[in-house]
Amino acid sequence: MKKLLLPLLTSLLFNNGFGQQLFQLAPPMLQYHSAFFKDSETASLKFAQPGTKIYFTLNGAEPTQKDAVYRKPIDVKKSLTTLKVKVFGNGFLPSETVQATFIKDGLKIKSIEQSPPNEKYPGNGATTLFDNEGGIANMHSKNFLGYQQDSVEINITLDKKQPIHSVLLDFLRDEGSWIFPPQKITIFYFDDAKNEFDIMNKKEIIADTNAKANACVFELIKAGAKVNSNRLKIIIQPLQSIPEWHPGKGKQAWLFIDEIKIY
Amino acid sequence: MERRNFLRNTSLAMAALMIKPPIPMKEDTVLGQGNRRYKLDNHWSHADVAKYPVNDCHEMIQDSKGRILLLTNETHNNVLIYDKKGKILESWGHEYPGAHGLTLFDENGTEVLFICDNSRHQVIKTTIDGRVLMTLDYPKETGQYTKPEEYIPTETAITPTGDIYVADGYGKDFVIHYDASGRYLGYFGGRGPQEKHLLNAHGICLDFRDNKQPNLIVTSRQQNAFKRYTLEGEYINTIALSGAWVCRPVIKGDYLYSAVLQTNSRQGDHSGFVTILDKNYKVVSNLAGSVPNYVDGKLDEMYQTIKCFSYPHDVCIDDEENLYIAQWNSGKVYPYKLSPVI
Repeated sequence: MKKLLLPLLTSLLFNNGFGQQLFQLAPPMLQYHSAFFKDSETASLKFAQPGTKIYFTLNGAEPTQKDAVYRKPIDVKKSLTTLKVKVFGNGFLPSETVQATFIKDGLKIKSIEQSPPNEKYPGNGATTLFDNEGGIANMHSKNFLGYQQDSVEINITLDKKQPIHSVLLDFLRDEGSWIFPPQKITIFYFDDAKNEFDIMNKKEIIADTNAKANACVFELIKAGAKVNSNRLKIIIQPLQSIPEWHPGKGKQAWLFIDEIKIY
Repeated sequence: MERRNFLRNTSLAMAALMIKPPIPMKEDTVLGQGNRRYKLDNHWSHADVAKYPVNDCHEMIQDSKGRILLLTNETHNNVLIYDKKGKILESWGHEYPGAHGLTLFDENGTEVLFICDNSRHQVIKTTIDGRVLMTLDYPKETGQYTKPEEYIPTETAITPTGDIYVADGYGKDFVIHYDASGRYLGYFGGRGPQEKHLLNAHGICLDFRDNKQPNLIVTSRQQNAFKRYTLEGEYINTIALSGAWVCRPVIKGDYLYSAVLQTNSRQGDHSGFVTILDKNYKVVSNLAGSVPNYVDGKLDEMYQTIKCFSYPHDVCIDDEENLYIAQWNSGKVYPYKLSPVI
């Protein structure tokens, strides 16, 4: 019995006490000017660690070592393209996946008027919400308007009266800074015939049930029926009660928005 | 608007973090580049957690007996003394709740320690076994402080004649100068818009590598830089370390070593590594970080490449060129050891 026990104990000790851990690669550096573009956007990647390669996909699939190897900056032309990136290397666990979605400009917006944001997060002037700048998850970037209130109203005027199929809004999720996506978005269009606003559609969003990484999250809301108009009114209700798992549970969350696209 | 490349705060697949796979074992992890490469041992410490607990492991030094001293803000044992093999030899200290900075000084053949305590707002000089020799309170002589709480010293540097420089790295970022007896002599640094100013003056050391002109190197961590000053506090120049939250500079031989707490690109995300600079203040190796790259003399932004450190806080280099890495806020891990790969 003793004879059996000794090697067993030795092996346990060896594996738990002295064996060295297999480490994970860190995520690669993904850089681009803005997630919003008129014609195209270029994304570049960096990972200066010999013996590793960056693999990427543009079809939404999780990158594997059978996918494309990154060699030069990636040009994105198609709207709602999601770039997913992962690093693999011998002797290490692969990195987490880094991703970004690139969004093409929509119908020409003449002007946007919105509820005045919190004075600390005033954005970047009158065109903040349609300047094709943003999609970078940094609350201190000048691309975001920040709100901490019950409701935010946004009035959009288009260049001309035309069919409207959908509206895209881009928000920040930075739960550590109490910034959450909204709980409800309601979109109205101006009906010339009735001379009043009519509902285009609405969306209710369920709050995250556990902590998530900082990211820009967009909501694409389609028109419920045929809409032909040059004016939209959007009412956004920030998350009124931060979920249970968060240190700020029960309190009102911040809302950060950086861009709106109309298609 | 000026077109700039912003860095995407990475949106990570968190699911990968939630699932803890069984930890596979492997041979060696080798970190770094060029002639500064090291093999990692993350099981160096043999300390029994029930007897010798740690909280944040802030700084380490080696004494003349070859022992490795660790300073932690765990008041069960603020100082743990190891041999080089990771065995605990002794411990002391219960009265340093904010133990942060640890500097060794050879005072006429007797080694003494200088401890910076963030919570006590004091610098304490002790014998190597913990007997208090001198306490420096907040420097009201500067005219810059009205109460102790404004002063949160993080590091000391001691000249061969015993002069003391204290970096107030979590307070007002001044460097305060005393003589060996603790008499106030002056101050420099502080926050402001000029190059000579500091932001998060987290570390300080003396650099004698140029025999003709010894100088002081002070960390400006939030500016991702070291700044050089004369011993009189005159600003010399800045060593920019793009992306890297460098802690204290530690000089051994021709090289300067520093733990990088985290990187700009992944703040708050356990993104630390260790950087090594040569005599000309050029980064020559990053342990678990990106290969240093200079373009027209300018260093590319640095970042973590291997997740083997969380928030490294100090590097200690022993007489055999091994490195010991102490970590802050990293799940109460004991220090790791790195041995040179020749």
